[in-house]
Amino acid sequence: MTAPGRHGSPGARRAVLLVLPAVVPVVVVVGAALTSAVLLSLGLTPLVGRPELSLDAWRGAELGTSIRLSLAIAAGATAVAAVVGLGLALAVTATVRRSRLLGTLGALTIPVPHLVGAAAMGLLLADAGFLPRLLGVAPEDWPALVGGRWWIAVGAEYAWKESAFIALVVAGVLSSRVASYTETAALLGAGRWARFRHVTLPLAAPALGASAAVSFVYTLGSYEVAALLGRPSPEPLPVLAVRLFTSIDLAARPQAAAVAVTTSALGLVAVLLALRSLRRLAGEQ
Amino acid sequence: MTAVRRRQVRAVVAVCAAAVVLAGCAAPDAEAPVAEERSWEDVLAEAEGQTVDLWMYGGDVQGNAYVDDVLAPAAAELGVTLRRVPIADTGDAVNRVLSERQADVTDGEVDLVWVNGDNFATGRQAGAWLCDWTSMLPNMAGTDPDDPLLTTDFGTPVDGCEAPWHKAQFSLVHDAARVPDPPTTLAGVLDWAEANPGRFTYPAAPDFTGSAFLRQVLYSVSGGVDEVPLEHSDEAYDELSPALYDRLAELAPSLWRGGDTYPQTQQELDQLFADGQVDMTMTYGPATLDDLVADGTFPETTRVLPLEEGTLGNASFLAIPSTSGDQAGAMVVADLALSPEQQLTKARPEVWGQFTVLDLDRLSDDERAGFEALPDSAVVPSYEELSAGADPELSAGWVTPLDDGWRREVAAG
Repeated sequence: MTAPGRHGSPGARRAVLLVLPAVVPVVVVVGAALTSAVLLSLGLTPLVGRPELSLDAWRGAELGTSIRLSLAIAAGATAVAAVVGLGLALAVTATVRRSRLLGTLGALTIPVPHLVGAAAMGLLLADAGFLPRLLGVAPEDWPALVGGRWWIAVGAEYAWKESAFIALVVAGVLSSRVASYTETAALLGAGRWARFRHVTLPLAAPALGASAAVSFVYTLGSYEVAALLGRPSPEPLPVLAVRLFTSIDLAARPQAAAVAVTTSALGLVAVLLALRSLRRLAGEQ
Repeated sequence: MTAVRRRQVRAVVAVCAAAVVLAGCAAPDAEAPVAEERSWEDVLAEAEGQTVDLWMYGGDVQGNAYVDDVLAPAAAELGVTLRRVPIADTGDAVNRVLSERQADVTDGEVDLVWVNGDNFATGRQAGAWLCDWTSMLPNMAGTDPDDPLLTTDFGTPVDGCEAPWHKAQFSLVHDAARVPDPPTTLAGVLDWAEANPGRFTYPAAPDFTGSAFLRQVLYSVSGGVDEVPLEHSDEAYDELSPALYDRLAELAPSLWRGGDTYPQTQQELDQLFADGQVDMTMTYGPATLDDLVADGTFPETTRVLPLEEGTLGNASFLAIPSTSGDQAGAMVVADLALSPEQQLTKARPEVWGQFTVLDLDRLSDDERAGFEALPDSAVVPSYEELSAGADPELSAGWVTPLDDGWRREVAAG
């Protein structure tokens, strides 16, 4: 792909100027916050006592389990959300007649805040929740979905909410292009599976990848759902960070900053990896 | 490197440098500021027209109603506007004050905090509280200056840095219908839990109540209060804590859900108790039980479980942050809250039911009669009975190591 006059042309310069009001505050605010978190984690801005460079906070925060747990929750929830979201998007674009109703139903979850979703999920799935009562299952016989070993309610809430977001993005892309391409493919004799495999999926892939990456990073850094529906130990990164930051032990604050910096770094790596694979996807097309 | 790339790098460096300056590197002074000694008329005059923001735990409906409907109107009569700021955890208020101190704020958002224990100790460590002001309060005359609950707070000397508000007693609670023959010691409670698998659990530390339960069990497994030095030391911790964690790890399979998980807060435990999933709950504020029974949340047969060896007792306080801009107004509210009328109203079960910090012998006959006429409760015994053989709280230095150790040794296991 060529971009004539990419550097220095009046058009490009104006574009940069137009973006500046959005970029500068983001860089200053996020940059200042991250820098102060890094300084705090290195012991350079303590609440009491003399600033002193040390890695104690990084060693003391016991990050390993939390990193693995957070990545697992984010990956699991995103995988489910991607599959469900793609299915939803296909259903919405496949049939014109039912699409409006389906689309509305699919988009219903988007304005529901995560906190409300989590509370609802808890009321529904807990031992003495709505579902076990409805099914007449005694609390002790009900599987530990909320606060259990497998973080099922947490994953379910993220998957439920993010699938709507993924569906919305993918459906937007598919609805504009997929009909004519699949018709052409059908005329050329492609079967249903072949059309899905060679037309629909490649068309949907970039949007699916991008929205899945957003959902992954969001889940990685989000606090309230895991705090509400999770178990006390082990903790995902954001829950660990908040607990340490609000701990009355003054030495815990640098550890909280170390956890927060780790979470940001993981999110950044995930975004960079996603961007690279998306570029490759676009290149293949 | 192209010119554009170089410019980008320079911009990033500049932004980072600005961020470093913004973040600042200086730690605030840890020395607590001291209130200037002056007459009460002076304080009253300065307080006139001030607005006091009282930050307090917002999850206690009766407490909220008391402050809004009783304390705030009385403060308004003295010319002070009292606003209640509900928070999820007192640590939030302490953190807010610490951040304000770090930023050198002198007219902070927090004017008064309902506080005690480790939150108070942490604030003292960082110089977050105004000190030496409670001796100016006229109503302090109604308290006993030698009452150990009022002179130290979880082992931290109060030193006039907070005014007493009310007393509390850690209590185990059971449903007499489901536990007809309740145990009478804490060791007995743990044995009972093993004999009745799945019917007992406790909130995960660092929840305030869960944390108190750990300390109560520590006393029990160590052979009593006298065996545990109140002051924290690493040696004492290393010597005494293994028995605590061993006992709780041993107990875990018999707990609710096989000890695989724990309720995260006391409210979650109360929910389990209300749903009939467990037969016991626990609280550091037994005063709320009457109300929970009256509105049908807890069964009629809910009873406090007295322990032979006594339970932990403490007092909670009102502290004024050193960053507050309305310190005179805050003092007036703290003094008002200590007045016999306010303490008596607050002690009524239908208002809040909190135990008074006043020494009844120091009150006039009329005032004492008011306290003596308080109705008896079927659920909660009187404070005299409840606090008989009360155990002192361990120093705040114990709290975090015990909580962290429990997470490592018991919850993660």
